[in-house]
Amino acid sequence: MRPSFFQHLHPPTIPAPQARLRYTLGAGGLSLFLLLVVILTGVLEMFYYIPTPERAALSIQEISFLVPFGGLIRNLHFWSAQFLVVFSLLHLLRVILTGAYAPPRRVNYLIGISLLALILALDFSGYVLRWDNGVYWALVTGTNLIKTIPGAGPALYSLAVGGNELGAPTLVRFYAWHIFGLALTMSFLAGWHIFRVRRDGGIAVPPPELRADPSRITRAELVRRETAAALLVSAFLLALAVLYPAPIAAPLRDLTDQAFETRAPWFFLWVQQLVRLGDPFVFGVLIPGGLFLLLAFLPFLFKPPAQAELGRWFPPSGRPAQITAGLIVIIIAVLSLIAVMQNPA
Amino acid sequence: MSRLTLVASVLLILALLLAGWMVLRQPKPVPLTPELTGEVEYCLTCHADLPEISPSHPIETFGCVLCHGGERLALDADLAHSSMRGGRNPSDLAIVQASCGGADCHSGTASSDRDHIPRVLRSLQGTYAGAIASVRYTFGAQPDLTARQGTYAVAQPDFQPGDPGVPGLAAFDPASETNPSIRAFAANCLVCHLAADPPQRNFFAAPEDTTPSSANHSVDPEFARLTGCAACHTPSAGSDLSQPLHRLTTAMPYTQCNTCHNRGNYDLRLMQFIPRADHPTNRLEDYYQPIAQFVRCEWTLDCIDCHTREEAMGNGWILGSQQEAQHTRCATCHGTLTSLPRTHIIQAPDDLALRLAFLNPVIDLEVGDTILVTDQGEPIWNARPLPDGGYEMFGKATGQRFTFRAVQGTGCLQKPDEQESRYCHACHAVER
Repeated sequence: MRPSFFQHLHPPTIPAPQARLRYTLGAGGLSLFLLLVVILTGVLEMFYYIPTPERAALSIQEISFLVPFGGLIRNLHFWSAQFLVVFSLLHLLRVILTGAYAPPRRVNYLIGISLLALILALDFSGYVLRWDNGVYWALVTGTNLIKTIPGAGPALYSLAVGGNELGAPTLVRFYAWHIFGLALTMSFLAGWHIFRVRRDGGIAVPPPELRADPSRITRAELVRRETAAALLVSAFLLALAVLYPAPIAAPLRDLTDQAFETRAPWFFLWVQQLVRLGDPFVFGVLIPGGLFLLLAFLPFLFKPPAQAELGRWFPPSGRPAQITAGLIVIIIAVLSLIAVMQNPA
Repeated sequence: MSRLTLVASVLLILALLLAGWMVLRQPKPVPLTPELTGEVEYCLTCHADLPEISPSHPIETFGCVLCHGGERLALDADLAHSSMRGGRNPSDLAIVQASCGGADCHSGTASSDRDHIPRVLRSLQGTYAGAIASVRYTFGAQPDLTARQGTYAVAQPDFQPGDPGVPGLAAFDPASETNPSIRAFAANCLVCHLAADPPQRNFFAAPEDTTPSSANHSVDPEFARLTGCAACHTPSAGSDLSQPLHRLTTAMPYTQCNTCHNRGNYDLRLMQFIPRADHPTNRLEDYYQPIAQFVRCEWTLDCIDCHTREEAMGNGWILGSQQEAQHTRCATCHGTLTSLPRTHIIQAPDDLALRLAFLNPVIDLEVGDTILVTDQGEPIWNARPLPDGGYEMFGKATGQRFTFRAVQGTGCLQKPDEQESRYCHACHAVER
């Protein structure tokens, strides 16, 4: 049988040990699938969403309750976006903890890190687009953090929110960024990222002579596994979308009233907790930014793991990078946990 | 197809069926676009069985959101109700301006008789200024009986020296009072005004059991009332407050007045309200002050048949005592030995009497008809002279017709300067 279009997107064969779920966690592939779901559902939402402060939250209510299947589409958009954060982080951790960031994959690692930054920015901007009482922290405190940057703060703030105060220009900017600035860039980078995976020699493995298990699987088998995973995740997302609707609240009508939800979105809870520790610039901008840069330049800061140790979890020669990433994960997890416990929903 | 793909496909189909079932299960949205807002709202999807609140507020014109607030598009109960004004009662005085106000609604000008909200906010029933002044004066916290404080702060715009009442009231602050009796008054007695929920306890429990209960509906049904406009205009006596009370009326029965005015009595020594322990069943005998005397009209008519809207809702001035606010006397309808009750001929279709009779059509009135008026010129639009020299009155809450006579030309022994009701009671009180 001649390979189909989808099979042609894959290399003819790939090493069997590195194609196992317990090695890849399926995280990269599922991130791509979730990305497709997010884009598809997002495009559908664009037909109804109105990016003005008066209409934004109302148009979301319209999508959620009145447009046929609108609620389902919006819930799918929400849940796939949340899991996109989860799976792209898992993918990043897998890459670090298996030493796959080593040359020649350092450029692709940076593309991946940029994708993560874009995904977080997309989640954040998408969250703000709700323009309801639930997004108060992100909209007000989140954007105020920009002001704290010495020197450039006020200019950057005005660039981000479209003026000296929050309002209609802010929403239009977030909308334009969400769709064109971020989603379009992300689509491009995702394509480049996947192209680079093959250009860099496919999944990271030891040189042929050093492989313990030289067996390979065909792309037909790979596509079969990907299809099964996509079907399972689709079923899971649908069930979530039906049973647990995306958060929604009354429209944000008065930005000076602070009696609203003051909790950050879950992936920024740790930043919110950091800001409570002291100076907002140091704790809200410098430290999170520093941690992110540390992650981004991991392949350049640490010696690459030995060739023979590639293609497996926790190569001993990659310990310093593994410990660094592990510490960052623990810090973020602990801070998020404290934030949840101190400020229960 | 591998087994994994098969299982995954089956799961996906199940999830799709689940999604389809949930979509089908959702109620069909019921749209309504009220004339006054022009914006579609979907409240009727769930609230179709709620009766229209009053003929003056037809749902096609007002809808729900104009008065209640809330999220007009949301079909999720929590979200839809999250931004409602005043919860289930948009007429609470704290938010009444947003709910019922507006120049064409209930906060218009005095000359158009649409100033209900500003009047009520300055009225004794709202401010409780008379009781506060009297208690503070009695216990030495102020030098005279002039009203200085209310349950909330309120001001009289453009107050001129010589105007009735006072230019404004500060908010009564129990924390700044030192006298224990005033503090006890603040703790026990500040529930008798329109902004306050009625005391939340079971009035028929043992008198020593004064444990407050957190649930509003634990108010004894007999004395159940809401706050703000609804305290009077939403008949609630005998109702379960946890159930919807979707009605506004200008035909308040005496039982609604009794939710405040027949609940018990206050003990000035303990500075406590002593709720009555019995179930009032007989209107004449179960009035809370056993020594009070009544003439027949005081227990056969409804309170609002004689007491006017300005007496109950305020006349626009910030008054400080019941004596200043209440002016209906026996002579208002019956006249004196030398004068007949005052009357007024309805001159124009926009006459206030016609508007009030239109709202509560117990009497047929038209331009040219003669009705009774108070000394202050307020229409007693439900009473008018008859050709035979007598008078008729229609019960505003019951529609019942009563006839009565004027004092003039009878053998009444009254003295011209003795017109308070106690002088009439001396001869005309009923035995009870």
